[in-house]
Amino acid sequence: MTISRRIFVKDSALALVSFGLDPLFLPRAVFSPYRRLSSLTVPYRPELVCLFQRGAVDGLNMIVPHGEGAYYQERPRIAIPANDVVDLDGHFGLHPSLAPLKELWDNKSLAAIHAVGSPDSTRSHFDAQDYMETGTPGVKSTADGWANRYCQHDREHADTPFRAVGFGPQLPRILAGSAPSLAIDDLQAFGLRVPQEAARDRLTRAFEELYDGAGTGLLASSSREGFEAVQMLKRANPTQYVPAGGVEYPPGRLGKTLLQIAQLIKADVGVEIAFADCSGWDTHVNQGSSDGQLSTRLRELGLALAAFNKDLGERMSNIVVLTMSEFGRTIRENGNSGTDHGHATAMLALGGPVNGGRVLGRWPGLGVEQRFEGRDVAVTTDFRDLFGEILARHLGATDLGAVFPGYVPSPTRFVGAIRG
Amino acid sequence: MLSIVATLCVLTAQAPGVAPALTPRDSAFHALNRLAYGARPGEADSVAKVGVMRWIEQQLDADHIPDSRLAAREREFKILDYDRADLAGRYRDAVQERQRLQREAAATGDSSRMRGARPMQEFRELGGELQQLAIVRAAISERQLREVMVDFWTNHFNVFVGKGADRFLLPSYIEETIRPRALGRFEDLLIATARSPAMLFYLDNAQSVAPGSSPPGPLSALRRGGTGVRRGINENYARELMELHTLGVDGGYTQQDVINVARMFTGWSIEQPDRGAGFVFHDWAHDQGDKVVLGQKFKSDGEDEGIRLLKFLANQHATMHHVSAKLCARFVADEPPDGCVDAAVAAWQKTHGDIRAVLRAIVTSPDFWTPQVVRAKVKTPFEFVVSAVRAAGVEPDDTPRLAQMVARLGEPLYQQPAPTGYAETEAHWVNSGALLARMNAGLVIAKECTSIPMIDDHAQLVDQIDQRLMAGTMSPHTKTVILEQLTDIADPQQAKTLAVGLALGGPDFQKQ
Repeated sequence: MTISRRIFVKDSALALVSFGLDPLFLPRAVFSPYRRLSSLTVPYRPELVCLFQRGAVDGLNMIVPHGEGAYYQERPRIAIPANDVVDLDGHFGLHPSLAPLKELWDNKSLAAIHAVGSPDSTRSHFDAQDYMETGTPGVKSTADGWANRYCQHDREHADTPFRAVGFGPQLPRILAGSAPSLAIDDLQAFGLRVPQEAARDRLTRAFEELYDGAGTGLLASSSREGFEAVQMLKRANPTQYVPAGGVEYPPGRLGKTLLQIAQLIKADVGVEIAFADCSGWDTHVNQGSSDGQLSTRLRELGLALAAFNKDLGERMSNIVVLTMSEFGRTIRENGNSGTDHGHATAMLALGGPVNGGRVLGRWPGLGVEQRFEGRDVAVTTDFRDLFGEILARHLGATDLGAVFPGYVPSPTRFVGAIRG
Repeated sequence: MLSIVATLCVLTAQAPGVAPALTPRDSAFHALNRLAYGARPGEADSVAKVGVMRWIEQQLDADHIPDSRLAAREREFKILDYDRADLAGRYRDAVQERQRLQREAAATGDSSRMRGARPMQEFRELGGELQQLAIVRAAISERQLREVMVDFWTNHFNVFVGKGADRFLLPSYIEETIRPRALGRFEDLLIATARSPAMLFYLDNAQSVAPGSSPPGPLSALRRGGTGVRRGINENYARELMELHTLGVDGGYTQQDVINVARMFTGWSIEQPDRGAGFVFHDWAHDQGDKVVLGQKFKSDGEDEGIRLLKFLANQHATMHHVSAKLCARFVADEPPDGCVDAAVAAWQKTHGDIRAVLRAIVTSPDFWTPQVVRAKVKTPFEFVVSAVRAAGVEPDDTPRLAQMVARLGEPLYQQPAPTGYAETEAHWVNSGALLARMNAGLVIAKECTSIPMIDDHAQLVDQIDQRLMAGTMSPHTKTVILEQLTDIADPQQAKTLAVGLALGGPDFQKQ
């Protein structure tokens, strides 16, 4: 009884809105064929999962150029011995801790993109992360993130509060902006935390009415999206989630987050972009080689991605998982058996639509004259071309110029990360 | 002269211009929302009785406000017993312990012991204590405006507690660098932050050395921070100093200015932890050439040259404007009107950056009192939680739960990695997940509310909540919805909790 009244109240509120009272909400109400179908059918809906390796991952020890002599010369203590590398193509190989991903390489759903990065030369984490998330290298004043701008400009899908979800207590920069997006810290605890269901429903309804009266500002529109999300999640009932086929995610925050993303995708609430952080890559000291600090982080990453892939099973045919990191690290190891802030790094793309089984991008080589500023891996793929390709060829973005102002990612520069 | 006229207008509760005047009680509530962390029950009335402008003057003269209850509460926080050298020693021990465990784990391939041992646990706990201390101070200090300004400057000169040595450098940064100067002179604050080990580490200046310079002895500890073998100037601090701390992004400086400022601060560094991790100037690392910044020539003069630069920057017009606009965004409106910013700049110019004079100019500006700005600003998560705690008469304890609540709403204290600090604007804080978290927070705080008695009559109950928690500003819509919700609730305790929870978590209380 309660529920049907709720829906009635909500729908009439929506009707009111779609007559033009709320300019932000109007276009979404117009383009809303998906909403009514959400619990009934699962239309083809490409999904993108982004993992930000904050702290600048050492691309050279993640996707190892073991065929390159300079790699071993420059890293006497931390290079991955050729015997340990999981070879991919005779020149590159996976760090041994990423061995769980080899299977995905073999079935052509995993690609690595090497020498990717920012045209801006900053080696500041802050600046570089900011540029990668706003999608405007060198411009600090950009207010919104590129994923949000994509949502602003490709609105035909924009009909669910779960379209763009950031996992964490705060909305990440990449999702900040005028298109609605949601920060979820813990899926189980999303909504009002009242143990009894009847009481929870009642309080939810009460708050909904309170905020309905709050006019047309951000408080009103955001709360409306929040209540809608609560309602959809309730119908999807994700509390009793069991990953498919006995898959076990590794312990730790990353595993927990990817499990929740899997859960949300399977709940069919309309996720299009999910974003999560995964930190601990700033390996200045005692980075380690086949074992050690970086190895531990990579093991968690590999196990988590492999679990996610297995858990989603068939659905991976619509999903691309992309890792990113603000820059790479120095080619030469430093005096503390670590690496310092560098330039280009490597990213991983995983999923059915991925043109897998190859290392993409032009490899600049590690020779001194091939380096950026004489010390770092040069950038041969602007990250906007990679992100742009995935937005265009996977999510179907039509206006990349609006997503990356001041830059038009060009198909001629796409590395071919997505199958044609 | 203008400010005196404005003051008189406010004193007689006649807001300038054509807009309807605020009542003395509304003015007091407005001042408490902006210059304090909200009103405690009855406080809007007591401030109105004293006179809002007199209350503001008292707040500006913070040292003369007795604050014994806070002093007693502060004694519970053991973090205040440690000085920087103590914390540095403990941190060094923890790092060594962690490295030993890492080596063992790498050798044996068994990382389970590492997880169990958690050598850095103490620092995580101290970090939690530091956050909770901020909440206790904001909630119960009588020197409310000073606490607001401590928060403002802590955010303006943001340092991320999670970055390496800042785990142990932050407490002394708050206690010794920011707090004593929160209502002082901007220039002094700027110099103190520039010399603080916390900032020197956070923005990497500690490792910035003139190219080609080398230390007289071994230097392994300094190398730890970051750029390793390839050493030279690090521009991080220089850039943020001008972009964020002083001139602002459009402040007219060039990349060459950034480089020259970085050269001026070469050698400004931190002692090794076992020597107390204090400020140290390394003459050997200092760039001995003359430098030009914003067209002004600075002769090479060791450490003093940096001090001269900071004084120069502190009194640039762009700095006055940038920082004044930020203060007005905090106190007046997200997009502050020019009038209050101009008034603040004028006061800055006249007093050489006396923060109290600048604040006085803002609160005597007509812009501060126009009805359009009253209750038009969304509280930050910190402001929301602290104001709810104050209104509901909840005594914040020394557990981290309230700090965790603030973090869940999106503002984990001292944990903003970016040097920008947290944003002041509504768009940054209002999103659907954060709003739901605010509703939850309202419900949790309502359970402990002591400021509302149990009343059988629902209309009276709602009226009490309106008067005591919101100084009579609850909207008719909120009243109606809460009353509707109460209709079938007979138990007065339940009715009270529900009504207070809805009021605190509802839209009216999100605004200030």
